[in-house]
Amino acid sequence: MNKTEYLKRLSDELGHMPYGDVKDIIQSIEEHFDEGLGEGRTEEEIAESLGDPKELAAEFKDGAKFTQIMKKRKRLKDYTGPDGRGRIFVVVFNLFVGIAMWIVLLCAIVAAFCFLAADCGLAGLIIASLIMGKITEFLVPFIFLALTLICIALFLIVLLILGIKYYAKGLKAYIKWNKHVWNYGLGEE
Amino acid sequence: MKGDLPMNSQIKKGILDLCVLALLEKGDSYGYDLAGSLARKVEVADGTVYPILRKLASEGVVSTYLQESQNGPPRKYYHLTEAGRRKLDSERDEWIKFCGEVNAILERSETGGETGGKADE
Repeated sequence: MNKTEYLKRLSDELGHMPYGDVKDIIQSIEEHFDEGLGEGRTEEEIAESLGDPKELAAEFKDGAKFTQIMKKRKRLKDYTGPDGRGRIFVVVFNLFVGIAMWIVLLCAIVAAFCFLAADCGLAGLIIASLIMGKITEFLVPFIFLALTLICIALFLIVLLILGIKYYAKGLKAYIKWNKHVWNYGLGEE
Repeated sequence: MKGDLPMNSQIKKGILDLCVLALLEKGDSYGYDLAGSLARKVEVADGTVYPILRKLASEGVVSTYLQESQNGPPRKYYHLTEAGRRKLDSERDEWIKFCGEVNAILERSETGGETGGKADE
């Protein structure tokens, strides 16, 4: 097996590892080849002494798994109780920014609801008047007005459905983030 | 390398991290050099050192830096960190103690008594 074949097999075997990690690994093994070639060894010799690319890939993958587990354990081990600064941050942030922001957004949703209700009411009133023949003048403009109001209503309904969905999602994520900072401080996520 | 008994390779795997740390204790080094040093002393493939170095780096017991070499591209050097030194010290003692205990058992069954730590070859 020559250098190209070896690196290709290794990168195939590494498979689902993140691209950056694979690149890093391939680079280090490529470096190994280059050093060996510099010493006058052949590509085949170096590939042979490196060992089976499948086994090597398995060792890299084991190492990655191990690292993940260790990171988790370290976080649990390092956890010495709540971080005071994190708690202060949560309180201050919510006092001045967080809660206010969510209330403003909630107000916007409520306002949109009120607007939708008014819009529907007005549209209904105009349509009813048209049907009952109470409007005799400006018939065409009134029909257009009614159509416009219906369009606005549909638009608002879509906007509200999306708005409420993302509001709920965002609020959930925000509460989770707050909990994390409250418990672990402002470190890595 | 292939052809080793499974038990042999399991024991090796557990202790190779420590061996790499011990090699780095003598001074900073790069992958190819470490691979050679390790493979010369223990019967493992040259490639074995790379997953170990990667794992040790992500644990923070070794750090890396690039340094120019006279011929060719810059080499990635590995350096034993303070945390690595602590890990090496504590695990080395543990290993030597363990070897002593194992040797005591093995030797007693043969010669009946003497204990001694033959950690080195």
